[in-house]
Amino acid sequence: MNKALKNPFVFTLFVFPGLVLFLMFFIYPIFSSIYYSFTSWNGVSDTVKYAGVRNFSKALTDERFWVSVKNNGWFILFSVFVQVPLIVLFSLLISNVKKLKGLYKTAVFMPSIMSTAVIGILWGFIYEPNIGLFNKLIGLLGIEPVYWLSDERFAMLSILITNAWQWTGFYIVMVLAAILSIPGELDEAAAIDGATGIQRATRITLPLIVPIISVVIMLSIAGAMKAADIVIVMTKGGPAGSTEVMATYMIKYAITNFKYGYGNTIAVLIFVFTLVVTALYQLLVARRTERIEY
Amino acid sequence: MPRTLRKSLPHVALLSYLLVILFPFLFVLFSSVKKDNNAIALNPFGIPREFAFNNYVEAWVNAKISNYFFNSLYISVLASVVSILLASMFAFAVTRMRQGKWNTILYGLILIGMLIPNNALMLPIYTIVRKLGILNTHLALIIPYIANAIPFTIIILAAFMRTLPSEIEEAAVMDGLKAPGIFAKIIVPLTVPAMVTVFIINFLGNWNEFLLANYFLSNDELRTLPVGMVQFRDQYQMNYAQMSAGIVFSVVPVIVIYAILQEKIIEGVTAGGVKG
Repeated sequence: MNKALKNPFVFTLFVFPGLVLFLMFFIYPIFSSIYYSFTSWNGVSDTVKYAGVRNFSKALTDERFWVSVKNNGWFILFSVFVQVPLIVLFSLLISNVKKLKGLYKTAVFMPSIMSTAVIGILWGFIYEPNIGLFNKLIGLLGIEPVYWLSDERFAMLSILITNAWQWTGFYIVMVLAAILSIPGELDEAAAIDGATGIQRATRITLPLIVPIISVVIMLSIAGAMKAADIVIVMTKGGPAGSTEVMATYMIKYAITNFKYGYGNTIAVLIFVFTLVVTALYQLLVARRTERIEY
Repeated sequence: MPRTLRKSLPHVALLSYLLVILFPFLFVLFSSVKKDNNAIALNPFGIPREFAFNNYVEAWVNAKISNYFFNSLYISVLASVVSILLASMFAFAVTRMRQGKWNTILYGLILIGMLIPNNALMLPIYTIVRKLGILNTHLALIIPYIANAIPFTIIILAAFMRTLPSEIEEAAVMDGLKAPGIFAKIIVPLTVPAMVTVFIINFLGNWNEFLLANYFLSNDELRTLPVGMVQFRDQYQMNYAQMSAGIVFSVVPVIVIYAILQEKIIEGVTAGGVKG
């Protein structure tokens, strides 16, 4: 009976198309990026000139590149220290209410299925200085209009808020799923012992969902390193490069300015930084959050 | 603290959050039927006094939203269907066929794909697409979209296929079916529920994709909805009422899909996220 399912010819045939695409669009690009990061190729000419580590030393001393690194850092910090606490708070709240639970869960998730480009446009309208929602709101409090996206002091923050608006609900649903899978007896036992809702949330539920919070932090770090489309749509990296992130800087160089070699150097650095940040996080934080069983 | 207050406090917090989520949509919806910027500025929060539905006609016809819409639709559907087909063949081979260590090696290789930040791969993919001579055609998006969805799709479908009991195949082999027959007649029909979930997720991903669509196509006729919208905004910078109508066109299909299938979408996305 095993013969039918052992047929190596059929096996190869089934695996082949997927494997080819995977190698072509995942594995080959990594090596190609590494190769071109050591060249000064413009992306079109016939000759590819070897440049040694010049691109790397250029990047590491390129002030505008470091601004983009710092902005990716803002994405990480904002998601870990602003978004994650909100995610935990709202997940706990939703898990504890009886009425409208389904509505909350469905509605908070909605922004994360939308196109980031369209959300960027939508929020661009909200931030519009003269007729946008934000300035109309603060106008009610008597505050002067703010040029949210064209003022260097506010542009990055405006993008971070939009990004948080889009993704917070996504993670809430994830954490919520973890909370709802905790056996109810634990909570009931604590309730019988007289623990209040807040005590049960902080002493029982919270410690039990530490692993999933850790996953959420990992995913938001990965997401923060990838951020690009929202920046391109909302500010194109401006004003004066103040909202540039690594990925937009890479695109700007390689595709708009025909510095393909240097663009790939930035791509490699995105890889390296992502690896370093996630490895550091794993070593310093995630390993301490031991596995929890119930 | 009185009991009723304590019970309603979480709802106050949650309803405020809900308001923050939903109000921007409502703002755009209201703005889309207001006459012009002036009408929006005078009454930013409220329901419009007169309804200018011609904003929708303008956006759909003159700004070619219809064109972008159908480009997006067919690219997204085609890419999602093909990636599911290829991924299910792959998943079938590595979970149900017996090739010993090859099953593990190939599946492990695919898992690596989930760890790669695919934005950083954009430049080499741009070059591949150019070398294939398909830059500035729809294939420049369709093929990378198919490839991009493959790891996630394989992982979800493989997880599902592993749960099917092996007795099914034994019976099928007794009836004289070969591996392709088992795949097509037995495994695929049983995997349909998982495929539907993955299809929706891939579809939404393709429908929303911006970076490749923005840089790999320069012909306006070929553009997809997110890119077309951004262009539309840049052109009609000053006409926010029409721009809002454009936003509504690009958001409504997604909301409708979500309203009908939200259980499946949430389930699929969180499954992929937690396990990946």
